Amino acid sequence: MTEAGYFDPVSVDEVVALLAADDEAKCVAGGASLVAMMNARLVEPSRLVSLRHVEELKKIETAEDGWLQIGALVRHCDVAIADELADGNQILSQAASLIANPVIRDMGTIGGSVGHFDPAADYPVALSALGAEIEIASEKGRRRIPVSNFFVDWYETALEPGDLITCIRVPPPPTGSTGIYEKLAKVKGDLGIAMVAVIMAMQGDAVSHLAVSVGGCGPKPIRLPEAEQALIGGSIDEAAIQDLVGKLSTASDPVDDVRASAAYRKLLIPRLVAQAIGQAKVNLRDGS
Amino acid sequence: MGETISLNLNGEVREAKAGLTTTLLEVIRDQLGLTGAKKGCNQGVCGACTVSIDGKLARACLSLAVNSVGREITTNEGLTEDGEPSALQQSFIDNGAVQCGFCTSGMIVSSHALLQDIPNPSIDEVRDGLSGNVCRCSGYRKIIDAVRGVARG
Ligand SMILES: Cc1cc2nc3c(=O)[nH]c(=O)nc-3n(C[C@H](O)[C@H](O)[C@H](O)COP(=O)(O)OP(=O)(O)OC[C@H]3O[C@@H](n4cnc5c(N)ncnc54)[C@H](O)[C@@H]3O)c2cc1C
Ligand code: FES
Ligand code: FES
Repeated sequence: MTEAGYFDPVSVDEVVALLAADDEAKCVAGGASLVAMMNARLVEPSRLVSLRHVEELKKIETAEDGWLQIGALVRHCDVAIADELADGNQILSQAASLIANPVIRDMGTIGGSVGHFDPAADYPVALSALGAEIEIASEKGRRRIPVSNFFVDWYETALEPGDLITCIRVPPPPTGSTGIYEKLAKVKGDLGIAMVAVIMAMQGDAVSHLAVSVGGCGPKPIRLPEAEQALIGGSIDEAAIQDLVGKLSTASDPVDDVRASAAYRKLLIPRLVAQAIGQAKVNLRDGS
Repeated sequence: MGETISLNLNGEVREAKAGLTTTLLEVIRDQLGLTGAKKGCNQGVCGACTVSIDGKLARACLSLAVNSVGREITTNEGLTEDGEPSALQQSFIDNGAVQCGFCTSGMIVSSHALLQDIPNPSIDEVRDGLSGNVCRCSGYRKIIDAVRGVARG
């Protein structure tokens, strides 16, 4: 460590021991959000635990259960080109490629984005549609939390003091699925006004898999599993889509901010989602 | 104000003091007197503080000084050649690509990196490469001309 309280450990065990020893400690991955918050004096950590030399956190590998494990320290620029993400799972790469600009994508990490959990961040929306899990290490051991329980409220996650995200776990994509990630932003590279992620598969004319997640329109990504389920087995006609998008808009809880008003977002959701589902249908029909 | 660190800045070893939350930008500007990199937003948004760290573009305002030890840091000042403006820097002057000058250092460091990857960039490639740099005087056209001007030689 340095006099100032900066630590550069090399293993997960060391990191969790360092975090456990001090409640005010913060781990630093890319620093893109943490240093910005320190500059704004929103956080003043007593010690910083750098993750940059922890090799375990840099891997992308398939686990024994077939799930893909993306290390917390994998940067946005690498998620954007990860071959391991196929079919519908490509929404994670699409989301990564739309974060900020090349310099920030070179710096920021998936674990940092998930840990920071900005309500306008891109990954949470995609991870929610994927039904991903967050793996966490602490002094007590390792545990896995589904994203539906991990993202709790505005800027609030299930992380407790002393927790380290080790990897993001993504299930294998549904056979023959396609994925669409759409982000509506005022200018390229800005945080989105609203985002939508769709994963869909069809057998013949019938929908065999559908997951729709909406972001930027409330404290956490919105998913309505029951409404999605109602469309399975059907041909996903205009009426079915209108029913789903209406429910998503009703379930949203947007606020007015510098990017757009809450009312605008409510109007936007149905159009954005309908367009994404329409595009998914086209992709599946064209076999792309 | 923290401990003594040593930085490899523009090819020279420089000593500075850094606390836990001191950024590289603060060290470069306030202690080492290189004021090319500007503190605009201090949030990573504007690109005025852009420097290169180990050959890659970075935001000096989001880089911790304690984390920069042992890395090669290059600022706009470090891109001069024998004390004279480089061809790229001269092209910014000749093309009138500098208005108030606040964004200029960041623009030049980013353009320098762009030209190393793509020696003859198209207008769109320049726009993409500089998409993380904001010019409030909105002189983008002349900036693009300056970058493409040097590319053509
Ligand atoms: C100019 C700018 C534009 C941006 N635009 C977008 C955008 O369009 N879309 C988008 O989604 N994001 C955007 N971001 C945020 C960006 O994606 C950040 O990179 C990301 O939120 C943080 O990643 P990081 O690795 O830098 O984390 P850090 O800043 O290092 O850490 C962020 C927080 O997470 C904690 N943390 C980090 N790693 C772990 C871990 N493994 N386990 C537990 N906690 C951890 C830290 O302690 C800290 O509290 C933008 C950021 C900037 C500066
Ligand atoms: S000052 Fe660093 S990006 Fe604006
Ligand atoms: S010249 Fe003034 S901000 Fe670019």
